[in-house]
Amino acid sequence: MGKKVCVLPCNGLDKSLGVVARNVALKLIEKNPDIELICPVLLNTGDEKYEELLKESDIIVIDGCMTRCATKLLDERSLRPGKKIFTPDMVKKYKLNPGKSLILDEEGQKLAEFIASEILESLKESEGEVAEIRELEEIEYFETTVDKFRFRVPKSGYYFNENDCWVKPMGKKALMGISDFLQNMASDIIFVEFPEIGLEFEQFDDIGSFESIKIVLQLITPASGKVVAVNKELEKSPELLNQDPYGKGWFVEVELKNFEEDKELLMDGPAYFEYMKKKIEEERKHRAQNIGD
Amino acid sequence: MSKEYDAEQETFMGVPRKKIPWFPTIDYSKCNFCMECDKFCPHNVYERRENEEKKLIVKNPYNCVVFCRACAKTCAVDALSFPDKREITKLIKELRKESE
Repeated sequence: MGKKVCVLPCNGLDKSLGVVARNVALKLIEKNPDIELICPVLLNTGDEKYEELLKESDIIVIDGCMTRCATKLLDERSLRPGKKIFTPDMVKKYKLNPGKSLILDEEGQKLAEFIASEILESLKESEGEVAEIRELEEIEYFETTVDKFRFRVPKSGYYFNENDCWVKPMGKKALMGISDFLQNMASDIIFVEFPEIGLEFEQFDDIGSFESIKIVLQLITPASGKVVAVNKELEKSPELLNQDPYGKGWFVEVELKNFEEDKELLMDGPAYFEYMKKKIEEERKHRAQNIGD
Repeated sequence: MSKEYDAEQETFMGVPRKKIPWFPTIDYSKCNFCMECDKFCPHNVYERRENEEKKLIVKNPYNCVVFCRACAKTCAVDALSFPDKREITKLIKELRKESE
């Protein structure tokens, strides 16, 4: 390991899957003494103990439920996780379900063991990984500004589904990503989760997610195909999804399977721009109503 | 982002939303009422029931965003299921043809 690694788990005193998160962290530092443990409660007091460490480390965040306390603690310090584990995902992956007790049962112990091993493996793999840089051409946009938020839609070359995700075909291959509408809804995106390379998917499958403090959203594929690459740059700089969702914030590269047919259910730039403006307007009305209530 | 959609008028891909049976179904033999899905969903699909046996129900199924399954990801015990995506896509295609 070149860079320092530290682990910030859920405190684990509310739910059993939080206890699992805490135990994963304990197993990690036991198996690899180079990894440093961050106590979430101490961090929350604003103690300076961890300040330097957090700045110079790759941070592994382990959340035990959707409240995502560990993620939030990090975000409050404007820091980004290098890796993120959500223990409910792991329950499904390893088919081990600890009961409700805060004293971990055998399944819970086993689950923590598996997750810790998985993290240690992934630390080995990520050494020496280099993000691919893709040159993208200049894009011409339709643009509208609502309440200081700018919404853009590329005039041509992009196709959209009603889930606000785009596909940009380039021969047999294509890039996919999210629209300005979706990134504005999410606000500051702090973490992305990619599909496996080689994954084959149908049109409208969900193949990856991105999250902000407000919400977790999924990429719903506008077309069918196979994942050939993911935008590794987003792991380091998830804010690219907010800043340049149609360019540097592309999410995955795919091999298209049946685009001519898939296209029938998609909108082109001008059609999506109209659709998006209506959606923004509805969103505004609902917000105004909610405030008025 | 919490809001009540006007499901009567909502359309999805040109099809009335109420004709598309896309929403979660709770398997009550698995659900442990941890409420993670309800905490997560910004569209008021679920509703909590304090004094009933089923402490969580799918209250507004047509508020659910077609093809979104994000709430199922929050469910550790896998109690949430959605219809088959391909079947729904097929249905939408048929309904679009009918209305042409």
